[in-house]
Amino acid sequence: MASVSFEHVRKDFGTATVVQDFDLHVADGELVVLVGGSGCGKSTILRMLAGLESVTSGTIRVGEREVTHLAPRERDVAMVFQDYALYPHLTARENISLGLRLRKVPKAEIDSRVRWAAEILELQPFLDRKPGQMSGGQRQRIAMGRAIVREPAVFLFDEPLSNLDAHLRGQMRHEIARLQRRVGTTALYVTHDQVEAMTLADRLVVLDGGRIQQVGRPIDVYRAPANRFVAGFIGTPPMNFLEGRLEREGDQLVFVSDSLRISLATERRPDPTVDSVEAVTLGVRPEDLALADAPGPATIRGHFILAEVLGATTHLHVEVGGRRLIAAVPSGPSPAPAAAVSLAIDPRRLHFFAADGSSLLLNGRNP
Amino acid sequence: MRRAAFYVVLALAAVTFLYPFLWMAATTFKPPAEVGGLSLLTDQPTLDNYRLMWTRAPFGRALFNSLLVATTITLSVLVFGSAAAYALARLSFPGRRTLNVVTVAVLLIPAQLTLIPTYTLIVQLGWVDSYAALIAPYAFNATAILILRQFFLQVPRSLMDSARLDGMGELRILFTVFWPLAKAPLAMVGILTFMGAWNEVLWPLLVVREEQLMTLPQLLTVFSLGGGAGPRQLATKLAAAMVLVVPVVAAYTFLQRFFIESLASTGIKG
Repeated sequence: MASVSFEHVRKDFGTATVVQDFDLHVADGELVVLVGGSGCGKSTILRMLAGLESVTSGTIRVGEREVTHLAPRERDVAMVFQDYALYPHLTARENISLGLRLRKVPKAEIDSRVRWAAEILELQPFLDRKPGQMSGGQRQRIAMGRAIVREPAVFLFDEPLSNLDAHLRGQMRHEIARLQRRVGTTALYVTHDQVEAMTLADRLVVLDGGRIQQVGRPIDVYRAPANRFVAGFIGTPPMNFLEGRLEREGDQLVFVSDSLRISLATERRPDPTVDSVEAVTLGVRPEDLALADAPGPATIRGHFILAEVLGATTHLHVEVGGRRLIAAVPSGPSPAPAAAVSLAIDPRRLHFFAADGSSLLLNGRNP
Repeated sequence: MRRAAFYVVLALAAVTFLYPFLWMAATTFKPPAEVGGLSLLTDQPTLDNYRLMWTRAPFGRALFNSLLVATTITLSVLVFGSAAAYALARLSFPGRRTLNVVTVAVLLIPAQLTLIPTYTLIVQLGWVDSYAALIAPYAFNATAILILRQFFLQVPRSLMDSARLDGMGELRILFTVFWPLAKAPLAMVGILTFMGAWNEVLWPLLVVREEQLMTLPQLLTVFSLGGGAGPRQLATKLAAAMVLVVPVVAAYTFLQRFFIESLASTGIKG
């Protein structure tokens, strides 16, 4: 086990820069999830750590050892791939043990480690099967078995659950979390799936355009997004946004838009030096909107479009001034199509973003 | 009914292809009096034609030479061809694109065009009347490189990445990961190369005059040109031709599953 450090790491492909000034320290035994949209550089970061991609500039360390220019086999990392990357001509047992055999580990030791991995991952019945004779979930477990028998300093997971169906994905997510806790190995996990990111991470790293947007505990990132990108990316359904401006009315700050006028709660006030802001974006999470019986001071009026009933929760889609807002409310009777509805906004749970996307809140945490 | 007619037509076509070969095989077992007849059957089967062939010329030695030359060429084409294909398909290095173009361009040059320059080179190297002269010019093959490159491009990148993390170098990845996956294209390249090398006549005729170094088709050609044209001589020559064809048929029969698999998977139609 070891910590991992990235220091000002940059990666160019030709003239395109895909990772810029990437600085991150992953503590020993920590599970850090890199999350972001396609092309944000998250897989490239993982591949640079594995040695599968060269580094344009910057330094990578595993523990105290600099590994920036070492070959993959010298880095003491193991990786689980999205498509499992099992050797199709070898049995599960051979797949798991190959890395050890290549490192000339004694046979008795190999057998013992394979037995240990098979027990942890419940692989015993499949050990003599080839990958083509196994299901996706079984193959994924073999891939994990191959990684853990190496007893590496760092585990790397590159979207390992993307090829599985929803049910299996949930099951394997628990297995990965359980496995990482049990072996205690430092892990970096790349995904674009928010549920995976939120549930697995000790810390979350949100990336966009090759740059870190925010690093923090999942719940902190969710509650206090550093900028509009993070606010829109983390959370399903995504945060609702309304464009407007901030105005001062006496000792109160008021958010004003075409469809809303709302006084800001004291604990959600932006920087006290701000008197007014011409262009500001208000953000509100779907669960912080509720159906109101009648229009009021902290309500927004719109027209009901559709309801997505998920079981206990329903997502109500409401059109407000040409923009669609989503409210996540407890399931119940839905309004009639095109009916006028009012959505109550909790003023204590508003987010504000400046024109450049940065958060205007000083005290990020919800009360 | 239409289906039956279809099979009859197919059977007739098969007979058209098969009959000359079967006639040749049958004739080698016939006594001189029956050679030349159209029948495939004989009342007095004999191995005399084979005995005679074996004593008239060093066919045993020629068989050994052919096996040695064709096998060495095949192994060489598979090893060097797959190594080149791997590099062209999966490694990044300056000039890779140019090398790919050059490999395709080599296919456009007719073999007859390079015959004289290659012969001159062999003479300059002092390789005339040697195995090197028979093997070296055929040890590398652009077609093999292109077929294998095309297959290697389809192998997922993650498999290579995984092998590298497991501690493999490039050669080990080629031979322990790519080769087992590429059984079908390797078999196809192997069969085509072996058949080409086995049947080659013109080049051995140019560079080998020593009878002990002659390959089987070369010796057969020389043998056919000499001797009489009587029934006994004809049957003896056909016996020699049978010896030439049997190893290729045997190899094809053994490897045909891979061969057909490969044709299907690479989209190359025969």
